[in-house]
Amino acid sequence: MLVEAQRNRGALRRVTGLARSTPGRLSLLALLLMVMSLLVGAATATSVQRRSDALEALADRSEPLAFAAQEVYRAMADADATASSAFLSGGVESATLRGRYEADVAKAAAALSAATGEITRSPELTEALSTLSGQLPVYTGLVETARAHNRQGNPVGAAYLREASALMQTRMLPAARELYGVETGKVVRDLEDAGSLPWPELLLGLLALVVLVLAQRYLTRRTNRVLNPGLVVATALTAISLLWVLAASLLVVYNASASKNEATLVDLLARARIATLTARGDETLTLVARGSGATYEAEYVEADKVLDDLLGRVRVVDGAPPVAEAVEHHGRWQEAHRKVREADDAGDFTAAVALALGQDARGAATAFDALDSDLVEAIGTARAELTGAIGRARAGLGGVVPAVVVLALLAAAASAFGLWQRLKEYR
Amino acid sequence: MRRLLAVLALVVTAACAPVPSGAPPIGGGSPVPPRPAEAAELTEPPSTADVPPASCDPTASLRPTGPLPPPGQMPAGSTMAEIQARGRLIAGVDQNTYLMGFRNPVSGELEGFDVDLVREVARAIFGDPGAIQFKVVTSEQRVPTLERHEVDIVVRTMTATCERWQKVNFSTVYLQAGQRVLVPSNSDVTGIESLGGKRVCATKGSSSLANVATAASRPVPVSVAHWTDCLVMLQQGQVEAISTDDTILAGFAAQDPYTKVVGPQFAAEPYGMAFPKADEDFVRFVNALLERLRADGTWARIHQRWLGDPPAPPVAAYRD
Repeated sequence: MLVEAQRNRGALRRVTGLARSTPGRLSLLALLLMVMSLLVGAATATSVQRRSDALEALADRSEPLAFAAQEVYRAMADADATASSAFLSGGVESATLRGRYEADVAKAAAALSAATGEITRSPELTEALSTLSGQLPVYTGLVETARAHNRQGNPVGAAYLREASALMQTRMLPAARELYGVETGKVVRDLEDAGSLPWPELLLGLLALVVLVLAQRYLTRRTNRVLNPGLVVATALTAISLLWVLAASLLVVYNASASKNEATLVDLLARARIATLTARGDETLTLVARGSGATYEAEYVEADKVLDDLLGRVRVVDGAPPVAEAVEHHGRWQEAHRKVREADDAGDFTAAVALALGQDARGAATAFDALDSDLVEAIGTARAELTGAIGRARAGLGGVVPAVVVLALLAAAASAFGLWQRLKEYR
Repeated sequence: MRRLLAVLALVVTAACAPVPSGAPPIGGGSPVPPRPAEAAELTEPPSTADVPPASCDPTASLRPTGPLPPPGQMPAGSTMAEIQARGRLIAGVDQNTYLMGFRNPVSGELEGFDVDLVREVARAIFGDPGAIQFKVVTSEQRVPTLERHEVDIVVRTMTATCERWQKVNFSTVYLQAGQRVLVPSNSDVTGIESLGGKRVCATKGSSSLANVATAASRPVPVSVAHWTDCLVMLQQGQVEAISTDDTILAGFAAQDPYTKVVGPQFAAEPYGMAFPKADEDFVRFVNALLERLRADGTWARIHQRWLGDPPAPPVAAYRD
């Protein structure tokens, strides 16, 4: 106990002794500057690395997953709407509708397996994902049963189709909506992480510069020499490092905010497309219900209102041709829908079905198909912009971490060298 | 050598040591069978709010006032004249009851016994059996749709009951049905009496559901929106039996050869066409039409087309 206290006192005395003599102080200063350069370098590198990791997660996981989730949601809604159309058309469904349904199921399954692959990353989605992957085969089974009955002329086929549709509407689409919401939220969160202003880097760099300047003023006072070459070089290196990091980070911030706009646009467009599919499904089901489809018509009106609102918001941020065309085709569809309802309400069911399903240029089917392909095109463009902006941000950060580390090492070495020059004079 | 043994012993112990219990089970693997929308188990019998008058004979309708006017020349001021002026008859039918009123999946057209009768009504008013706007109604919607006057007539396997007579008018009986039980062909159920505690399907708002709920053997009634939903549930093993009118059950048996109709008729279900309470002249008009259809063989022909060899048509009863 006593011995240890004495030893401690001895160590303390040595350090204070060192601090009292000028060479001692210079040695301590050298040590301080080296440690500071290295610590600031390491902290800055970590901060830049975190930003780079966020971008990598965004490019490699969040964005593709959000797109997969969007595809799951879209493909399932489309499969349901297509199955209703095929039923309404009567007889054996057309090859086009059947092909579209099959493509939807294949797309939903593929997108679902992409989304499920990352399940460990989002434990909160376990239930939604297991609902989706568990119910998709059940859904297709019901649709195929309905088809088999339809081909035999059994009206029970319609009941199987209703059951399939109820399964889709009450269990699968809500799960798909949840999946889409969570994955889209992650894109926004990652973009915010990547696009945060570089305050830590800035403060650390400024701290290093201030300490270096103070050290030089101290040296000037002590040694009557205006400049210490080593410390000047160290200051310059630190400043270069700081400017590089700031420039690269601000480029990321700029691109991230551009990406955020694109991500918002992709989200709006994707939701518009899903609203389009929902409205189309409701339009068809209103006719399938044959006079007792008031609830479906109300749902159509609801979905159409959502679509109108979304297209309006899209138009504010994106004036590209596909969006303008989408707005026009939506108007044409609304017009066609009005005619469908007029014919159905006036008791002309055959004309209503022909207007809703026929390939007439002024019919609902044509307008719907045109609107859908406009939205596909707009989503494709917006997504390409989004991934492009993420890529540019990542490119800006390339090589920054090694550069920061090397510059910090060099600055530490330069400080040490500069002070070593003064220390030599005390030999 | 000793060291080797020691190492060997260590290896063996390490190999035999219990692995930290691992392998988490795969979640979400339990099946969730799909059900038709709105399918529900009934915990208490459907409400029978109004007690029917004791003296009611539900099969007795309003007597025709004379011979049928010729098509296209409906008496001025009558309900039929209004319909004629509109240019189409608005009829509430079913599209889910095979043989009675159903959507032919191949053509997309509505067909069946009930639908053919509606066409006869249209023919009597317009001379054109196609001047009809069909409005599909569920069992539950039949009375409310008539009360709101959204349709001129409902022909939809509707049993004339005293309770319903208080809200709507019925024509004379156009088909005499009776409630029986449909089960899978390998079932040992012999009738409603052996269905105690078992799930039995019928549509919401139908008299069949009320009869199941009040049966002495106490089955568990399951209600659905459309009749075909019952067949789906039977085929998926979610109910043990369907109980309703033999006419509807015949339609199920025709769609599924692995079912059979068992037991005696345990409730008589006389079908009438239903009209809004105010349209008494239209009821008398249709009753006159039914008289003619029974007499000239049209009724027998329609029966032959959908339900097989016709029995004698139901005898009309009137309350004047």
